[in-house]
Amino acid sequence: MSKFLCLFRFPTSAWPAKPSSPEEMQKAYAAWQAWMKKFEKELLPGDGLKTGGALVKGGGTVSDGPYIEAKEVIASYSMLETTSLARAIEIIKECPIGAGDSVEIRELAGYSM
Amino acid sequence: MTGPGPAPALPEHYFRREFGRLVPVLSRRFGVHRVELCEDAVQTALLRAVQSWPQRGVPDDKSAWLYRVAFNEVLGALRRDRRSDVGVDDAEQLPAETSTDEAVYLEHEVQDDQLRMLFVCANPQIPRESQIVFALKILCGFGVEEIALRLFQSPEAIYKRLQRARSALREHMQELEQPGIEELANRLPGVLEIVYLLFTEGYSSAQPDRVIRHELCEEAIRLGRLLDEHPVGAVPETAALLALMYLDAARFDSRIDGAGGLLLLEEQDRSLWDRDLIQTGLTYLQRSARGETFTRYHAEAGIAAEHCLAPTYERTRWQEIARLYQLLQRVAPSPIATLNRAIAIAEWQGPDAALAVLEAIKPPPWLLGYYLWDATLGELYRRRGDVERATVHLTRALEAAPTHAEQALLRRRLDAIARSS
Repeated sequence: MSKFLCLFRFPTSAWPAKPSSPEEMQKAYAAWQAWMKKFEKELLPGDGLKTGGALVKGGGTVSDGPYIEAKEVIASYSMLETTSLARAIEIIKECPIGAGDSVEIRELAGYSM
Repeated sequence: MTGPGPAPALPEHYFRREFGRLVPVLSRRFGVHRVELCEDAVQTALLRAVQSWPQRGVPDDKSAWLYRVAFNEVLGALRRDRRSDVGVDDAEQLPAETSTDEAVYLEHEVQDDQLRMLFVCANPQIPRESQIVFALKILCGFGVEEIALRLFQSPEAIYKRLQRARSALREHMQELEQPGIEELANRLPGVLEIVYLLFTEGYSSAQPDRVIRHELCEEAIRLGRLLDEHPVGAVPETAALLALMYLDAARFDSRIDGAGGLLLLEEQDRSLWDRDLIQTGLTYLQRSARGETFTRYHAEAGIAAEHCLAPTYERTRWQEIARLYQLLQRVAPSPIATLNRAIAIAEWQGPDAALAVLEAIKPPPWLLGYYLWDATLGELYRRRGDVERATVHLTRALEAAPTHAEQALLRRRLDAIARSS
């Protein structure tokens, strides 16, 4: 079994998400909820990420907001524990992200010490 | 938090209902003139829930969680405004941020807040059509596009009506900051009319989707019951309006045939009528008979009750229905009431007496273009055996009929005439 970090990226132009009605939001909730239920054995708890934050550069420059010039926002992350990258891709392909959004999947190296 | 494990499914319309609860509660805390800020804050709270609940589990008290997030969101926005020195009066004491424990609010307070908001919607400075749109937005939690779909309007028109309501509230903010329901009691007739129009919009809408029409009727009944549970609203008029809504709702599904076509009252399968809803309606009708008041709701509920209690179409008490339409005309004069009275008279005394009633009125131009006017005349001439005139009127009605269901109904009538002559 390997662990995978999944970063959910949204274009800055579409974030914060445009106002949608409560019913539409509940549909979005139901879609995510169904996805997580389907893969509950392989999904580890993740979290949403607040907007803002800070960007610290080597040399000491600090800017507020990590994505001032970025074209994408990382809005949340999930962890997967599953057999292979191929399987992780299979799972993420089924998640209800929109057409312009993307998910970056990275396997944790897990070097033995 | 629940969990570990995936988040549970939410009850149907949970977010929409929460929106309609939280906006009135927050508007009481922060002032009705800030209703738009409160709407945005609740919107944000729901979005946060979508982002975090599936990942982290659903809070034990979902409503309190949403309230807390929305409350702090409003507060944050007001603090930002204060820093940039606009909009917020410095003398105003802003409440502290709230934690989960403080966020508990009592159910009856929510109901009071919702009801207060309904009276705020009935502000005489806001045109009636904007009042209805505004109520659908802030008390029922529908989005602009959803309201547009339900009222058969463009989203732009709905948006304009919402803005008109909001700007009227801002202009009259002194009067409206913290109004008690008792102070707004004189708006009760307006409030009843909002509920009535919401219901009729759903009941007789040209919207082909049954579920969507049903929803508006359900919302109207919910608001009517809210009104009836408060001392200010628990008057005979409200009971009459509830009676009318339940008695009509009982027959909702029997009006549609298997193929989605519209059925006439005489064609409906009466065994499909919902007996429980009829019983509830009759109980309200009984309660509405207290006192001297007689409103259009009393008359219309009485008519609906006559239909519900009649064992068959033929054995309907048409004389009683004609009398109730006459009473309706007295309290709410309208050529539509006359038209309906004529239909009852036709069943009671025949087409000649009914045509005499219609020929005696001078129909306004809008009525001449209304498909039911021609449909009724066509039917009365058909019964009199005047095929020529019947065909003229039914053809005209067919051209003006707003929905496919109604067009199909009229086509059937025309075909029947063609076959019999």
